[in-house]
Amino acid sequence: MAFLLAAMLLLAAASGLAVVLTRDPRRQVFALAGNGLVLTLLFLVLQAPDVALSELAVGTAATPLLFLAALAAVRINRKRDAADTGGPE
Amino acid sequence: MSVLPWVVAAWLFGVGVYGIATSRNYIHLIGCLSVCQSATYVLLLGIGYDWGAGPPIFYDHPPGTPAVDPIVQALVLTDIVVGATVSALLLAMALQVHKREGTLDPQEIKPLKGQ
Amino acid sequence: MSPKLRPALLALAALAILPGFWRVACALPGFGSPVSPYGQAVNALLPEMRRVSNMVSAINFDVRGFDTIGEEFMLLAAVAGTVLLLRGGRGEDRADAGGRIGGRAIVPRADAVVLICRICGPFTFIFGVYVALHAMATPGGGFQGGVVIASSLLLIYLGEGYGRWRQLVREPVLDAVEGAGALLFVAAGLLPVFLGLRFLTNVLPFGTAKDMLSGGLMIVENAGVTLAVAGGFGTVLLEFMEETRATTSEVADPDDGRTGDRA
Repeated sequence: MAFLLAAMLLLAAASGLAVVLTRDPRRQVFALAGNGLVLTLLFLVLQAPDVALSELAVGTAATPLLFLAALAAVRINRKRDAADTGGPE
Repeated sequence: MSVLPWVVAAWLFGVGVYGIATSRNYIHLIGCLSVCQSATYVLLLGIGYDWGAGPPIFYDHPPGTPAVDPIVQALVLTDIVVGATVSALLLAMALQVHKREGTLDPQEIKPLKGQ
Repeated sequence: MSPKLRPALLALAALAILPGFWRVACALPGFGSPVSPYGQAVNALLPEMRRVSNMVSAINFDVRGFDTIGEEFMLLAAVAGTVLLLRGGRGEDRADAGGRIGGRAIVPRADAVVLICRICGPFTFIFGVYVALHAMATPGGGFQGGVVIASSLLLIYLGEGYGRWRQLVREPVLDAVEGAGALLFVAAGLLPVFLGLRFLTNVLPFGTAKDMLSGGLMIVENAGVTLAVAGGFGTVLLEFMEETRATTSEVADPDDGRTGDRA
């Protein structure tokens, strides 16, 4: 049990670092979803099934989807601006 | 082992702050902020943990069996869900910034001018 | 501040904080020894006092119910702010077609995707309701169930396309569901006040432990949280998806988009 806990904690630390170091927001979305999954498993090992369920729904599904939608909106806005000014995309 | 969870919590917070300070994109910055948030989850659940105790749900085992602290779990549970909507609010702000300024880079945003 | 100076300043601050952090980490009780007598008291007393088996839900909805009202209104405020920012900046000329990025052909949805979404969507919805309903007995509750319900709505979008999705999932309905959830929670808190008791006193019969309908007033509060979270997350997801739509002028202009397909 102690080994499993230590491994999950270290994995959580590593996946948090991965989220920060992934500078391209489109790739960061996937790092974020991975971080959510690792945290879900960590919370499960910490005997918190309620919190794990919450993190699973929010961290691996809802938040990455919001980020993806926001990135799509940014790209479409950028294209619209380019069309307005007549400049290349 | 007895300080590892606190070190991991501090590491997650520190890494998140580093990301926020050096970020060149607001959407990336919001992702870093959610790493900072996860530090508090690790810290709180770590404080409530008890070696050899089960989850605080007395469905399969009768009341009275050792269980970890449910208070911190209740705090973290609500925080995760509410924190996600706050992230959504920040993303909406980032979209507004992009519409007005045409960029998501904090370096390129001009300071607000007084009216 | 120059981009190079900032990490240096951050490192300096981290160096200053590090010894303090180490003192605190060593002074904290060792990992794995419970520190809070409050939590242990809850574990010992609440199964008898409230006849529920999930202590986390019991704390959220009974012991710290007032706290949860605060959380729910934070959720309401954050969702309202998001909606205000997005709707206000958007205008009302959105069409049902998706915004296009030039040069990219539109791939039609595969039949397999439609089939999987039609099968998984309703099941995810039912699972969300199940998780929310069994809050008092097994892990789950309004917060988790609400998010699962909201994400099941997105599976409809994935399977049926945007137009059909907007026909099925309507903004006013989601707004009403969210508001009704918050109202239900406050009403559940006010019910004991009208009976001459304190706010959020658990006045309803507790039922039997391990039962879906145990916990008295907690069931009503849990239902309120489920509605508020499902409506709130649904609204936020819908507003962000709306942001990726094409404007009506772009759809009316036959040249736009098609040139992108040919290129």
